[in-house]
Amino acid sequence: MARVFLTGSLRALAGSTGEAIEIPARDLRELLTRLEERIPDIRRRVDEGLSIAIDGDVISDPLLETLEPDSEVHFLPAIQGGRG
Amino acid sequence: MNGLGYEAPQSVEETVALLARENGAARILAGGTDLLAQMKTGAAAPQLLVDVKKVRELSSVEEDEAGFAIGAAVCTAALAEHPGLCAAWPGVVEAARLIGSEQIQGRASLGGNLCNGSPAADSVPALVAAGASCLIAGPGGERELPVEEVIVGPGSTCLEPDELLVSFRLGSGKAKRGDAYLRMIPRSEMDIAIVGAGVCIELDDFGVCHAARIGLGAVAPTPLRVDAAADALVGSRVDDAALEAVAAAASAAADPIDDKRGSAEYRRKVAGVLTRRAAKIALDRARGEQ
Amino acid sequence: MATAENGSSEPKFRWIGTRPVRPDGVDKVRGRANYGADHALPGMLWGKVLRSPYAHARIVSIDTSGALAMEGVHAVVTAEDLPEIAPEESKIGEGPTNYRDLSRNVMARDKVLYHGHAVAAVAASSPAVADRALAHIEVEYEVLPHVLDGDDAQSPDAPLLHDDLYTKGVEPAPERPSNVASRVEMGRGDPERGLAAADFVVERSFRTKAVHQGYIEPHAVVATCGEDGRATVWASSQGHFMIRAYCAKLLGMEQSQIKVVPAEIGGGFGGKTTVYLEPLAIVLSSKSGRPVKMVMSREEVFRATGPASATRIELRMGCTRDGRITGAHARLEYEAGAFPGSPVGAAVMTLFAPYDIDARAEGYDIVVNKPKVAAYRAPGAPMAAFAVESVVDELAAKCGIDPIEFRLNNASKEGVQSTFGPKFKRIGNVETLEAARAHPHWKAPLAPNQGRGVASGFWFNGGMQSSATVQVADDGTVCVVSGNPDIGGSRASLAMMAAEEFGIDIERVDPQIADTSSVGYNDLTGGSRVTFATGMAVVEACRDAVRQLRERAAAIWGVEIDGVEWADGEARPTKGGGELEPLTLRDIALKAARTGGPITGRASLTARGVGMAFGVHICDVEVDPETGKVDVVRYTAVQDAGRAIHPSYVEGQMQGGVAQGVGWALNEEYLYDDDGRMENPGFLDYRVPVASDLPMIDTVIVEVPNPGHPYGVRGVGEVPIVPPIPAVANAVASATGIRMTELPLSPPRVLAAIDESRG
Repeated sequence: MARVFLTGSLRALAGSTGEAIEIPARDLRELLTRLEERIPDIRRRVDEGLSIAIDGDVISDPLLETLEPDSEVHFLPAIQGGRG
Repeated sequence: MNGLGYEAPQSVEETVALLARENGAARILAGGTDLLAQMKTGAAAPQLLVDVKKVRELSSVEEDEAGFAIGAAVCTAALAEHPGLCAAWPGVVEAARLIGSEQIQGRASLGGNLCNGSPAADSVPALVAAGASCLIAGPGGERELPVEEVIVGPGSTCLEPDELLVSFRLGSGKAKRGDAYLRMIPRSEMDIAIVGAGVCIELDDFGVCHAARIGLGAVAPTPLRVDAAADALVGSRVDDAALEAVAAAASAAADPIDDKRGSAEYRRKVAGVLTRRAAKIALDRARGEQ
Repeated sequence: MATAENGSSEPKFRWIGTRPVRPDGVDKVRGRANYGADHALPGMLWGKVLRSPYAHARIVSIDTSGALAMEGVHAVVTAEDLPEIAPEESKIGEGPTNYRDLSRNVMARDKVLYHGHAVAAVAASSPAVADRALAHIEVEYEVLPHVLDGDDAQSPDAPLLHDDLYTKGVEPAPERPSNVASRVEMGRGDPERGLAAADFVVERSFRTKAVHQGYIEPHAVVATCGEDGRATVWASSQGHFMIRAYCAKLLGMEQSQIKVVPAEIGGGFGGKTTVYLEPLAIVLSSKSGRPVKMVMSREEVFRATGPASATRIELRMGCTRDGRITGAHARLEYEAGAFPGSPVGAAVMTLFAPYDIDARAEGYDIVVNKPKVAAYRAPGAPMAAFAVESVVDELAAKCGIDPIEFRLNNASKEGVQSTFGPKFKRIGNVETLEAARAHPHWKAPLAPNQGRGVASGFWFNGGMQSSATVQVADDGTVCVVSGNPDIGGSRASLAMMAAEEFGIDIERVDPQIADTSSVGYNDLTGGSRVTFATGMAVVEACRDAVRQLRERAAAIWGVEIDGVEWADGEARPTKGGGELEPLTLRDIALKAARTGGPITGRASLTARGVGMAFGVHICDVEVDPETGKVDVVRYTAVQDAGRAIHPSYVEGQMQGGVAQGVGWALNEEYLYDDDGRMENPGFLDYRVPVASDLPMIDTVIVEVPNPGHPYGVRGVGEVPIVPPIPAVANAVASATGIRMTELPLSPPRVLAAIDESRG
């Protein structure tokens, strides 16, 4: 059961009031599929400029990443140009 | 390429003849530190470069009883290696040593600094304060002008296309006289003055200032000689009141513009500050305290 | 290899932490190293770019016939020669790059969006002919009103740069287009409640100007494209794989059709993480059938390549009387230049990172008629740190608490939830603050008109993808092949890690940076990632090779691999393995052909375990109260490097970051006239610090090893540009009693503030 943290407009879209929502998922692909039930265009948003951090590591290509039962997943703004 | 010519004449006469022949299409090349940069950007496009560094009168510093004749093309690094000049006119030498970087100093000259016509030329206010004159040669002979009369507007001088600045004349070393130059730049070197202030003070046996000259740079379309500021010193012991008066007079004389390097208001204020500080240094030198 | 000694937890290294001469040093000192503009090919043409004289205009027509008719002109390129990228294809591929925007930045299509925007390019037999040819390209413009400032750009009647740009991140989606490209928001807890409960609240508005990275080497490229459509590109950049990918996408080519050979790089600082000339050079070469060289002038670098954003930041922060921060809120507006993509997202994420506080930040990305911004060391963070660290300083003063103590009271540490979301792992924030507090500089006396400032800074650092190969030669030397341009001494660090792994002399390691066809994929040099991530790939590749070396030794001895251990550059029998003479790397390498062939170690990885990093800087300034001139008289930079592989290059990064940050704080700024023309496109009037402007910059390397890296490395290249601006501003406040909130702290601005405070 990964804990998913959303911020800003995503949180409103997901209908979440708390800091985190709990989503059962073994990997990120599954998590995004489940999240689509709440935010139908979440994949497009990720493609267009969201980064995903799993347990504190910002992952550049996270789809194959497995999740631990207590993993924390954060959706963050992509660090555009953040490659100084 | 569109045929750029190069000549390196050996004498003043030869140089003047070349300039006359080209009728404005030639540019004089001394150190080239301004000219080459202008040619790169297209701001200058001469057909002939007349290199004057082989002309003896332009490339030597002569000292006699009357004072110094500084060749217009002598590089500023060489000025600093002239013990007599450094002792007599420390303010002139310190101004010359502010032009460009250490590498540039091996090329840049007082003549080039003046003839480039910039209101911000560092050596000019110091030369004005020192009472320097310019020896100018042309087809009809020579003429001598106070340095402050040479620049007539930003980037332009009173020299005719067939005239050549040969040398600067400065008086001989003198006790109880001191000169100094200060400039304001945002960095510590390699920059163009936002304000420059040159001051020369002469004291009598009682420590009273009996003569003073003040030059300001970068606060008007041309470098200025500011007699009103000098008058604030003459007759005083250059005490705090006189120094405040000279600052106020310098600020009042400044007629700057707003530009990318500084606002008019800033330049006016700092003109006063630097003139006062330069006057204090000149005073200490006149008193033999520095 | 690392071994613990005497039960101590401190590993003992032979090379890590030492200061050998860098492998690329001699070539660079002797002028033999090849930079971007050094490359030449037979029959090469010179390419030049025609640039827009307007800040905003519609391109009505371009007539290139006059230029093409000139003798010596071989090709002309306009946007017509580049495939148009449809909006729906703009984000194809990985990462946030918008290829439609990138294409239009490389060559204007329909509209020019800033003065200096590329409109056409020519290839000619000489630079002079190319210059003259530009004058014979006739462009008809319909001049449009322009907007140069982020504030003006948000006004309802502001001219729109892109009529298809709708603010993202706002719900419901807006119905009208805008110059505000996006909104991002991040935070933790309920800062408004905390602010309401605060004993002291400071509210300030900060402004910073656009500044350039100021790399010494202008952009330069040589490209040659054959009839078969295959191109080879030599270029100076922060990532030749990036150039390959971008050129392929912009030109509709396959990546396999392009080989990019990296040149040495004369500075990048983030500014060379994108393309400007490279696609144009390929097209010019393709059209002319000749190699084409293009080199920007300094003026072009200023007018057309990425600066860092100009910003406006509004910040409220409150604390209790005893110095506990109760809440903070920030609104950040970052100019993106002509196309969306300022680093405001990174700014929103980093600005409160040093603090364990409830805080919220909202950021706006705003387009204006100025060049598109590019990354600049810790993109977005220095301006945000200016705001936060200035206000933290004020709050500490209100509480009467030493500003380092105040920061320690509120410091984020392992396990704390960051304001950008994830919990911090092992970080050295507290350790750097403690090291700063313990430094003699912190308590040293000050002279009249002097003041002291302190500031913290944070940067994530990057991981991303890296590959490396190590090849063992039969003389027992090792070639380490990787694919990241070396901008900060990474070659030396990679060689040292390899020497450590093999247990051999550093002189026996040859680090090479290979072209895109000769080594596995590497993401670009940026995000302070190379020593960390590519270092990790090198370590893995070395371990792969060492395993093979042990296998060969086992084969030679006729034992199992477990019977062979590797130490000090040789294979030895494990304890109880009998009286076998050790086999050196050279012994094994000489027999490689007869024991299974060449020995090559490989690794390709996506680096996890990035170590986030913190720095604390102490700055003393002297302010001339009559001219407003600020001189930095003493500076100490403290930073957690995880573990410094080559301390000289860590110190070099720290000192370089400080030099750039001090320039940003004091004098650097883009000046524009009313028509949107930059007035100071050269190093005379765009004032980076000269050497004599800076004191000796003292450095203190703190080492809190990153558990995510085999040697504990954290990225070091970006953190040091984050604290300098507020460190300088806090020092000016300490010297003058005046809180300056607008950059640069140039003499006219400081004098005006002093005069105003005197009434």
